[in-house]
Amino acid sequence: MNPITPIINGMKITLKHMFMKPVTLQYPTERPKVSERFRGLHGLKVAHSKAKCVACYLCPTVCPAKCITVEAGEDANHDKYASVYEIDMLRCIFCGYCVEACPVDALKMTGEFELANYTRQDFIYSKERLLEK
Amino acid sequence: MVNLTIDDKQVTAPKNATIYDAAKMNGISIPILCHDKKLKPFGACRMCLVEVEQMKGRQIPACTTPATEGMIIRTATPDIIKARKMVLELLLLNHPLDCPVCDKSGDCDLQNLTYEYKVNSNRFTDEKFNHEIDYNNPLIERDMNRCVLCGKCARICDEIVSFGALTFIDRGIETKIGCEFEDGLNCEFCGSCISVCPVGSLLARPFKHKARFWAMTKHKSVCGYCATGCNLTLGVKDNKVLTTIYDEDQGFHKGQLCVRGRFGYQFINSAKRLTKPLVRKNGVLTESTWDEALEVVAVRLKGGTAVGALATPRLTNEELSLFKQLLVEKVGTSNFDHSAGYAHAALTKGLVSSFGTAASSATILDIQKSDFLLVLKSDTYETHPVVGFEINMAVKNKDVKLTIISDKRGKLSKLPDAKTTVHRPGSELHLINAIAKALIDENLIDESARTISGFAELTAALSGLTAEAVTEYTGVSSSEIKKIASEYATASKALIIFPVGQAYTGHTAALASALANLSILTGKNGKEGAGVLCLSEKNNSQGAVDAGFYSQGNGLDALQILDGCTSGSIKTLFIAGENPLVSYPNRTKVKAALDAVEFLVVSELFMTDTAAMADVVLPVCSFAEKEGTFTSSDRRVQYIKPAIRKIGQCKTDYEVFSLLLSKLGGTAPVTAAAQFDVLASKTPGYEKLSFAVLRKDGAYAPVSIKPVLVVTKAEKPIAAEPGNLLLVTGSALYHSGTLSQYGEGPMHVCPEGYIEFSRTDAASLKIVENDLVTVTSESGSLQLKVKVSLRIPVGVVFAPYHFAASSINTIWNGAPVTKVSVTK
Ligand code: SF4
Ligand code: SF4
Ligand code: SF4
Ligand code: SF4
Ligand code: SF4
Ligand code: FES
Repeated sequence: MNPITPIINGMKITLKHMFMKPVTLQYPTERPKVSERFRGLHGLKVAHSKAKCVACYLCPTVCPAKCITVEAGEDANHDKYASVYEIDMLRCIFCGYCVEACPVDALKMTGEFELANYTRQDFIYSKERLLEK
Repeated sequence: MVNLTIDDKQVTAPKNATIYDAAKMNGISIPILCHDKKLKPFGACRMCLVEVEQMKGRQIPACTTPATEGMIIRTATPDIIKARKMVLELLLLNHPLDCPVCDKSGDCDLQNLTYEYKVNSNRFTDEKFNHEIDYNNPLIERDMNRCVLCGKCARICDEIVSFGALTFIDRGIETKIGCEFEDGLNCEFCGSCISVCPVGSLLARPFKHKARFWAMTKHKSVCGYCATGCNLTLGVKDNKVLTTIYDEDQGFHKGQLCVRGRFGYQFINSAKRLTKPLVRKNGVLTESTWDEALEVVAVRLKGGTAVGALATPRLTNEELSLFKQLLVEKVGTSNFDHSAGYAHAALTKGLVSSFGTAASSATILDIQKSDFLLVLKSDTYETHPVVGFEINMAVKNKDVKLTIISDKRGKLSKLPDAKTTVHRPGSELHLINAIAKALIDENLIDESARTISGFAELTAALSGLTAEAVTEYTGVSSSEIKKIASEYATASKALIIFPVGQAYTGHTAALASALANLSILTGKNGKEGAGVLCLSEKNNSQGAVDAGFYSQGNGLDALQILDGCTSGSIKTLFIAGENPLVSYPNRTKVKAALDAVEFLVVSELFMTDTAAMADVVLPVCSFAEKEGTFTSSDRRVQYIKPAIRKIGQCKTDYEVFSLLLSKLGGTAPVTAAAQFDVLASKTPGYEKLSFAVLRKDGAYAPVSIKPVLVVTKAEKPIAAEPGNLLLVTGSALYHSGTLSQYGEGPMHVCPEGYIEFSRTDAASLKIVENDLVTVTSESGSLQLKVKVSLRIPVGVVFAPYHFAASSINTIWNGAPVTKVSVTK
């Protein structure tokens, strides 16, 4: 084969790309479109103005990273609720098992992916922070 | 034995086995829901259906059908699987299926079976139940919407606990489990019903929503309350004991526990636990370091015989023997004791003189193997509830005859055909001596007795006992005494049971010998199901005796040590876990002694009244944090290992004693195991024991006895005068010593001291239940809540001793019977 041909072919591709729409996102000025099934920050769903979570302890049980802490309490109507619900995002591997395990569909994973923070403590998401707004 | 074929396997089974038992014994599992091996076959759920070829392939319940010769059984044909699935579908039809919020989830038989049989849809539809849920009870939550009507709760409460709080009420689809008149639950709170409930209908409220079954680590241990020595499984998560878990294969009692064992564990992780050593500086107990505290103690321990020590028999055998070693070898004192000195005298003096050894001649296992039980004090049920269960089962299932000799009636008196002889308070020794006399007079004695040393002396001494005097002192007719004597003597296996303890001052060495005399006279020792069983009080009371931790030789006993503190001859007092200010007789005297002693060191879990008076307080570990052994009252030596890490800066008593020992120039074996070996080599019966042997199930330390008949002298019991009542002290069912005050369960049901009156006395004093009365004796006066009951004889009142807030020793100076007057 002519030694020049591959070079020309390569240049062709390069030139083609020079006129294509760029793939790179100019983050943070440009925002990505997050897919529906993206597994980002968790959210605790709310129904009847309280968290749907009944503190069944299934998500902490299934979590392979053991990063969910649940403590159950009993409210005034003797219903079980999570008095503590915490996820340590530094340990979470975003596998989504917790969402799958939940028997009452109380947990979801949102498109939120900007989780950078300053201290380790900031990565422990309390129930307040996880509740869907 | 019968031979049968199960699933093509040739098997044999005992004659009385059911098909279920036969299969289980041979490793074939049949699913069950309403069956429990401790209970009688019932057959309510039909989960255990099997096919028997001889019955033309009909499906029959395995749990109720006896296995017979030649049966050919199939346990898992497609038809059976189908039938079982249908059973589950029907059960799930009305079941709320609220597993996410049900605490039983993960340990639920219904859930497990549903999963195993893959019942994931239901062909039927129906409404769910809508029963009211009982959230009000502090210990047991009842949600009958989840109930599968297996009846286990009602059956265990009747067959084993013999309380009968629960029963089926209503009919047909309305049927549910409830209490009389659909009332709240007001029972013994033993929690047996919770333990057998296959679903989440009955739940332990203190554990409500605390953790999932699978998230807890399970630690086998031994109950830290009484000397029954029940085995426990502690459920632990995040270094906290969250609950006790039922294990039907554990211990002689098959997982049965009483309210203290099941619901009294909260003291272990109580927020009130002491966590740092305290040293008194300028009159105030101030937080300090172990180094400083132990240094101060070590200096003060160099006092020779001016040092005294009191230890609680809740310490392990290793700790007690190390403490003894420290005191004898390095401190140079033999002034040490436990349990106020007198509470172990029945063993250390009484049985030692009668049997030649400080141990009972029978075990708890003998109860169900006996023909006749002679129980001294109905309180045996209250002091040792699980021994009480054994008595219940012996009487109800094995037709064992039961005679109770007591100063009041009690729960045991209610058992079928139980005979209770109520005597005047304080006259038990007269009565027992009178029975001995009747045995001799009526020639009911065993021929062997005549050759036993002491026979002549005893006969001579007893001949002075006149029927009139006995009837006058005891209030029991001589014909009744003769009847007890002849029933006892003619039973081929007869067992005597009596409790001892700090509140039972009348249960003296003499009484123990008098009871031993009965067994020796009739030749009832050394046989299965017969002998004398002395129920010591605390979890390791027998161990403290076996380890020799009591005053011997010229050592002062507990009460003499306190006197020594007052007189100044004892300058340093080391109290390891005892709370004499509340549990020893005569509070004023104890207080004066503790005030007077120059230096008081207390090692404790809690800031008790006694610890508050100390110069140094050392925070120590509970049974759940240490390794060691406990010896139950029938000399079962049982091993415990830590279930949780130590709380705060606590050290085990073993560590405390070893550190002190090294400060005083000695060395202690590094491990408890080595200390046990030292102890075992010196203690008769323990020779073959070691941690390796005990680790799994523990072992009995054999007892060999050399019977001697002992003459026992009874004092004339005190009689009431007009305007006076006779106070007898004792234990309440829900409590053990003063420790159970820190257990939430016991305090929910029985939060404070009380005084129990007969109806007649209550009426004549014009008082009713829950009134506050002032009770006055020679030694002081005390306000107590009134309880009125049918079991107390006229002229007698009863009060338990456990409570610091209403310390009964304010009015009680240690006499078996105290004259008191009561005003409103
Ligand atoms: S996404 Fe996975 S790792 Fe993260 S909390 Fe859920 S189960 Fe745990
Ligand atoms: S699985 Fe769902 S209901 Fe259960 S604890 Fe997790 S979020 Fe709550
Ligand atoms: S706690 Fe014990 S006494 Fe009370 S209902 Fe249950 S089994 Fe019966
Ligand atoms: S409450 Fe529990 S133990 Fe009692 S009948 Fe119902 S399911 Fe059975
Ligand atoms: S207190 Fe005694 S009877 Fe009750 S569970 Fe503990 S050892 Fe058993
Ligand atoms: S287990 Fe046999 S009928 Fe319930």
